[in-house]
Amino acid sequence: MADKNYYTIDPEGKLKCLKCGVPLVKGKAKFMYLDNGFPVELPVCPVCGFVYVPEELALGKVLSVEKALEDK
Amino acid sequence: MAIEERASTHVYHQKRMLSKEELDELEARCVHDEPPYCSAACPLRLDGRAMTAALAGGDFDGALALYGKITPLPHILASGCEAPCRDKCRLGEPGESINMPALERAAACFGNKTGGAGMLRLKKKKTAAVFGSGIFAAFYIGEIARKVYPLTVYSGFENAEDFLAAAAPFADGECIRRDAESLADADVTFRRTERMTPELFTAERGKHDIVCVSPDFLKELGGGEVNEALMLCEELGVITAPEARRGVLDAAFGARKAALTSDRLAQGLSPDNTRGEEGSAETRLYTDMTGVEGSKAVTAADGLYTKEEAVREAGRCIQCRCEECIKGCAYLQHYGKYPKKLTREIYNNVNIIMGDHMMNKPINACALCSQCSVVCPNGYDMADICLRARRTMVDTDKMPLAPHEFALNDMEFSNTEAFLCRPQPGFEKCRYVFFPGCQAAAIAPETVERAYSDLASRLSGGVALLLGCCGAIAQWSGRESIYNDTVKLLDDSLVRLGNPEIIAGCPTCAKMLSGQENARVTGIWDVLDDIGLPAGARGLDVPAAMHDSCGARGDGHTQSVIRRLAEKMGCKLIETEYSWDSSPCCGYGGLVQYANPQVAREMAQTCVSRAQTPYITYCMACRDRLAREGRESRHILELAYGADAGSPPDISEKRYNRLSLKKRLLNNIWRETTPDMDCGFDISYLPEAKAAMDERMILESDVTSVLEYVRETGEAVQDCDTGLVIARRRLGNVTFWVKYEERGNGYLVHSAYSHRMNVQTR
Repeated sequence: MADKNYYTIDPEGKLKCLKCGVPLVKGKAKFMYLDNGFPVELPVCPVCGFVYVPEELALGKVLSVEKALEDK
Repeated sequence: MAIEERASTHVYHQKRMLSKEELDELEARCVHDEPPYCSAACPLRLDGRAMTAALAGGDFDGALALYGKITPLPHILASGCEAPCRDKCRLGEPGESINMPALERAAACFGNKTGGAGMLRLKKKKTAAVFGSGIFAAFYIGEIARKVYPLTVYSGFENAEDFLAAAAPFADGECIRRDAESLADADVTFRRTERMTPELFTAERGKHDIVCVSPDFLKELGGGEVNEALMLCEELGVITAPEARRGVLDAAFGARKAALTSDRLAQGLSPDNTRGEEGSAETRLYTDMTGVEGSKAVTAADGLYTKEEAVREAGRCIQCRCEECIKGCAYLQHYGKYPKKLTREIYNNVNIIMGDHMMNKPINACALCSQCSVVCPNGYDMADICLRARRTMVDTDKMPLAPHEFALNDMEFSNTEAFLCRPQPGFEKCRYVFFPGCQAAAIAPETVERAYSDLASRLSGGVALLLGCCGAIAQWSGRESIYNDTVKLLDDSLVRLGNPEIIAGCPTCAKMLSGQENARVTGIWDVLDDIGLPAGARGLDVPAAMHDSCGARGDGHTQSVIRRLAEKMGCKLIETEYSWDSSPCCGYGGLVQYANPQVAREMAQTCVSRAQTPYITYCMACRDRLAREGRESRHILELAYGADAGSPPDISEKRYNRLSLKKRLLNNIWRETTPDMDCGFDISYLPEAKAAMDERMILESDVTSVLEYVRETGEAVQDCDTGLVIARRRLGNVTFWVKYEERGNGYLVHSAYSHRMNVQTR
């Protein structure tokens, strides 16, 4: 069965890891909050594993899920 | 040290915030849903308030629908109703009561029956019979017809119109005709009988399941005791009324009770169970009549109201409701709920252990200011409910940290990095300690400095200084363990200073500290009232409104002293609605500005809407929040010490002000050197970045931490399109992200954002 992803962002080569000097790629990541996990695909450095969370995602979907979980 | 976030949403502890008895007792105090005076006086419980509202809006159909609920014969009832509501109508105090019967008549005349209620009702299998005539029997026929029982009427009349005309000689022909028409579709058969005899009764009664006799015919049958609550003569096994001539309304009410009894008996149920409230009652409703002017009832030119006259008469109704708490409170207005309803929903919210807690936001949006407890005729206090709810949520691990974390961190900052406790130089123990409060140091540090110097120079016995938070923030958040830690910190400090008398600069601090064991607390306002204002104290040149602090609720002495001081400084004070003890909260109380900035803004807007003048406050948080709404506001101490704090500082400036005040005082008064506050590199911000940070509650120190981290680890990404670098750091329970460009030995910040979720690769 294919992995379930709640959200996918492909960096399309537009982001670069400054530490490793390589482009970020679409990679598997997981948001964790209050003992709840959400698998996602985000721009990830293939070398050091830096996961990038864009501003729109942080202030949009992530915030709304946080608020929903906080009231559980 | 970060405050611990709740571990999981899957933790299920249960604890009641109130016992059921306590909840009942509390709810009973709220009289918002008590019936209006007219309805309570009416045995049929006509919702006169709703009917006049409909009529005032020209909605005659709606008015008839309301009126039709209480009677099957609206025209006849309206013609003969004795209107006990008139004596109870509050408009009767300053002027004339509402002419309800005339309005009922107008509703009946001009309204059309709407909807098909009853069209699809199945005819009942059991049958009913009425023996005799008269007004009680007339209403009973109407009631039973509405309940769709096939009905036979034994009387001297062969049709409904004749029956009703004889029963209601006070009603005109048109009324009789229209009410008779409404019976036309019902399954009612009129059996004309020349003489009503006991023999006829004996012969016919067995054919019907429910039998009603008129009071007159009951006498012919030999009479019997009538249970008036049930309208039942058990001896004869018939529905009836005790006396024939008690009035039209009494007959209508009797018929209503009799119809309910009939229904119960037909279903084989006990007639006296679960009947609900019947008849007129006393209401506990409160209606403030202040400012209500008396007026005369509209006179009907033609004996009956025209549509226009009815609309005018209904428009006089003041719609009696108790909304004393809602009128002055932006929080209750925002959620559109009165305390009884809100309390029940909060109680249920706290009791549920799984699923969505829909009332968390309202629980955390109350300013805990207790204005409601003062304006409510019964002292209902939402602050008590919301604080209990918060504490219970913390105890059961259901309280999210997000709404209060920034404030709690700010309190921790006040009581660690920005904390200062020193006796006056030259004293080991002091007679007094000045406690200005965390917001005074954050918003008006210059005022704090001058006030301390003044007190230290004019009071004898030594004046120590204690800069910190009184613990109100922890208490408002419902986190009692943090509050207890604060109490201990302050207690230990006071012991070190020789248990001095506390001179509080803030009414909330004064209230909080007074609650501590052995603490003796005086407001700085009392000290200045006693020793006199400092030289140079000067009020505003223009008239100003006094905004009372919710921290001084119930403290008329402080409210008066503040006014006296303001007037001594030459202020010309104007009084506003909701001042003195009924003052609304500015939105800082109860941590609303952190938990629900929107409601907090509405609170501040409510405060500034009371006057067009500048405001004088005696709480620094009020001063700040009113100024944020664009209204000039001054703390009384700013005027006393001639130090205008200027425009409101942002969240980072508030921290900087506290730190730099501490540093300056340590250097200047106690001759102690302090470490440099410089981080070693320059950071500048685009204006939009600063604005966003204030809204998102991101501090400059958070940005500095992120940049320090990227300098240390090199962990960051670069956006190839914009060239901006984006770095992040997890600080406590929050991940902060900063978008910037490098500028020499520094950074220009383009944006900053944060999230609470933790992210990792998998």
